[in-house]
Amino acid sequence: MIRRLVAAALAIGIAVSTVAARLQPDAPPRRPVASKSPSDSVLAPVRRLPPAAPGARNYPPLGPGRSRRAKSSDARKAKARDARRGARTDVTRERATLREPATPRDVMPPARGNVAGRRGGSRIPPAFARFTPAELPENAPIETVGGQDWIAAHDLARLLGATKFWRPEVRKLELRSPALRILLTDDNPFVLIGDRTVALDTPVRSRGGQLRVPVALVDSLPRDSAGVRLAIDVHRRRVLRVPELGLVRTPRIASDGTTERVVFPADRPAEVSVIGRGRSHFRVRFGGLFVGQPPDSAMRPGLVLAIVPIATTEGSAFEFTLAPETEGYRIERDERRGTVTVRFERHAGPGDERFAPSGPPGARAVRVVVLDPGHGGGDAGVSVSGAIEKDLALSLAREVSRALEGRMRRVRVILTRTEDRMVSVQERAERANRAHADIVVSLHFDGAPGPAAHGATAYVPPATYGGAEPVARGAAPVALLPWRDVATRHAVNSRVLAESVMSSLELRGLGPARLREALPYPLLGVNAPGLMLECGTLTSESDRARVMAAGGLRQLADAIAAGIEAYGGAE
Amino acid sequence: MKRITWLMLGLAVAAVLAWLAWRAPVPARAPAVPASAPVDTLAAAGLKAVRLYFASPNGAGLVSETRELPESPTLHERVAALVAELDKGPDAGGVAALPPGTSLLHVYLDDEGLLTVDLSRAFQQGFRGGADAEYLAVTSLVRTLATNVPEVRRVLIVCGGATLETLGGHLPLDRPFEAAEMP
Repeated sequence: MIRRLVAAALAIGIAVSTVAARLQPDAPPRRPVASKSPSDSVLAPVRRLPPAAPGARNYPPLGPGRSRRAKSSDARKAKARDARRGARTDVTRERATLREPATPRDVMPPARGNVAGRRGGSRIPPAFARFTPAELPENAPIETVGGQDWIAAHDLARLLGATKFWRPEVRKLELRSPALRILLTDDNPFVLIGDRTVALDTPVRSRGGQLRVPVALVDSLPRDSAGVRLAIDVHRRRVLRVPELGLVRTPRIASDGTTERVVFPADRPAEVSVIGRGRSHFRVRFGGLFVGQPPDSAMRPGLVLAIVPIATTEGSAFEFTLAPETEGYRIERDERRGTVTVRFERHAGPGDERFAPSGPPGARAVRVVVLDPGHGGGDAGVSVSGAIEKDLALSLAREVSRALEGRMRRVRVILTRTEDRMVSVQERAERANRAHADIVVSLHFDGAPGPAAHGATAYVPPATYGGAEPVARGAAPVALLPWRDVATRHAVNSRVLAESVMSSLELRGLGPARLREALPYPLLGVNAPGLMLECGTLTSESDRARVMAAGGLRQLADAIAAGIEAYGGAE
Repeated sequence: MKRITWLMLGLAVAAVLAWLAWRAPVPARAPAVPASAPVDTLAAAGLKAVRLYFASPNGAGLVSETRELPESPTLHERVAALVAELDKGPDAGGVAALPPGTSLLHVYLDDEGLLTVDLSRAFQQGFRGGADAEYLAVTSLVRTLATNVPEVRRVLIVCGGATLETLGGHLPLDRPFEAAEMP
């Protein structure tokens, strides 16, 4: 019986000791942990390279840094033995599965470089200094550390629209987007992009608590993918997401005396249009974003005197100043070469377009001015420390009316409301239209979320508005415009009026004055040039004090009336 | 003889137990995170960067900042998270432009890229200010949505399930805003 117990105890003891040994952290695993790792699905198949061809890169074993590359094959074998014995850390074991990259065909040539090498000078051209990164498409800065250009891995993920998955046990960061999968390993120069392995000149590094990737990786990302494309903007020192309509690069100018060609390399040559046909303001708009060297803005001899990049909400635009003897122009789009050529001719031929005639604009008749004091009745508008918008707007409208009648003969001024009552937007428009208004000015005072906001803002109908839908009818296409948006028909004159009034405000120190192109609510259904003018910001202490001071409204009214008078021009 | 049988039996049991123990799966060890681990990437779940637009302090326009949010699988969760982040306000430099307490009720995206966002009543009731506040509230919302949801071409803002004519009497909201025309 005792012996039976001894035998049973012995058996249990052996079992317990075996289990205990198995649970020890340093116990050797029977197989590499990497095979259990969830990362297996994203790792490229491990294949042994054939002997390196002359000139081909001899791929070193993967290790934490370049110093490990120099180790001999004996050392690698020893490491592999160690890995089998399980004497190494998980991280090292994971690396052992990536000892060599896939076949040479699958391996990209080493992505070399440093944008500095291609920079050709670090001076940012003055024309670009105006563009701040916020105006660019999604972008990220390039950092230079130790002579190498880097982009932070989280910035790379953001630009690619990728989700990050960090695996601390193997120090790998996966960036996953619908179109692309990138696997970065800390302290390792090999990067998996989809099913390709890319060898970088410099390993991915962890610095300041963040993974940094050599910016040369951007050149190795797939360009034919349906996903996001990235480009390095060497002038602005940023990596940016290529917009849908591509990029436009540095133009070159060629001249043969009678013809001058300005050739723009463009990803989408079809996306170009002429938006201004005057000789002194010949404007061309591209769909793509300009990332090249801006042309020298100094006046030059020939037909094209100057080319200047101009601000635009989308894509890019250039303004050409042309010599008076230039007779015609032509736009040539070459899809195959990816270029847009703007050709200027000293003697216009049959296929050439002519420029717009230049001369002074005709006088604008300003006979009927409709002033629309904002809000009213139960709608007080902005109310700050006793300054109530609806009351100030009505008082200002009366002052502007007096000032206009004093300045302009034969002008008739109509107010949409003369007392404190609510007037609907339809009623306001009806009054203006019935009076055949030449201009409509809706008077308001502003309230802003920002504590530092001050000054005046004009809102004008935009020149292009989404409400218009072209409908073909018979031979002549017409555009149907909802009556609600009829003010957009007067967008050009509305802008001229707004600029005139804003200049007047600025001249009298009542600015800063901003202009925004957005169809304002008070101009819905108004069939005349007009603007909504936020004459000052009541949430700004200085503006409020100025408006509330004795004579404050009169000063404001005089400035507005002077702007309207200047708009009338010949009056 | 009988003793030897018992002994053999005991050893056999021990051997089986030892074999079973050897085959048993290794309990997962907590991953050791070195001190130098990238702190911004220490997340088990996927993190995705979003760009949020807020009002600039001088009221002249929008300023943007990026944040990393856990990846949301559905459109509703993505848009709701963006609206919630806008409502939380900026971390760096800007001013919250969305009326306080605004949240997402429903969202719809059609095949032509029209995103209809149905916001809570707080969007209308919490609004204070003039044209600048209204303009910046709308543009910060539309631009944030269009930037982070690539399928979006136009954004229609409705409130509490009904079309909103205007927020403060300065901008019409009854039509969608073209994302490409946002400043």
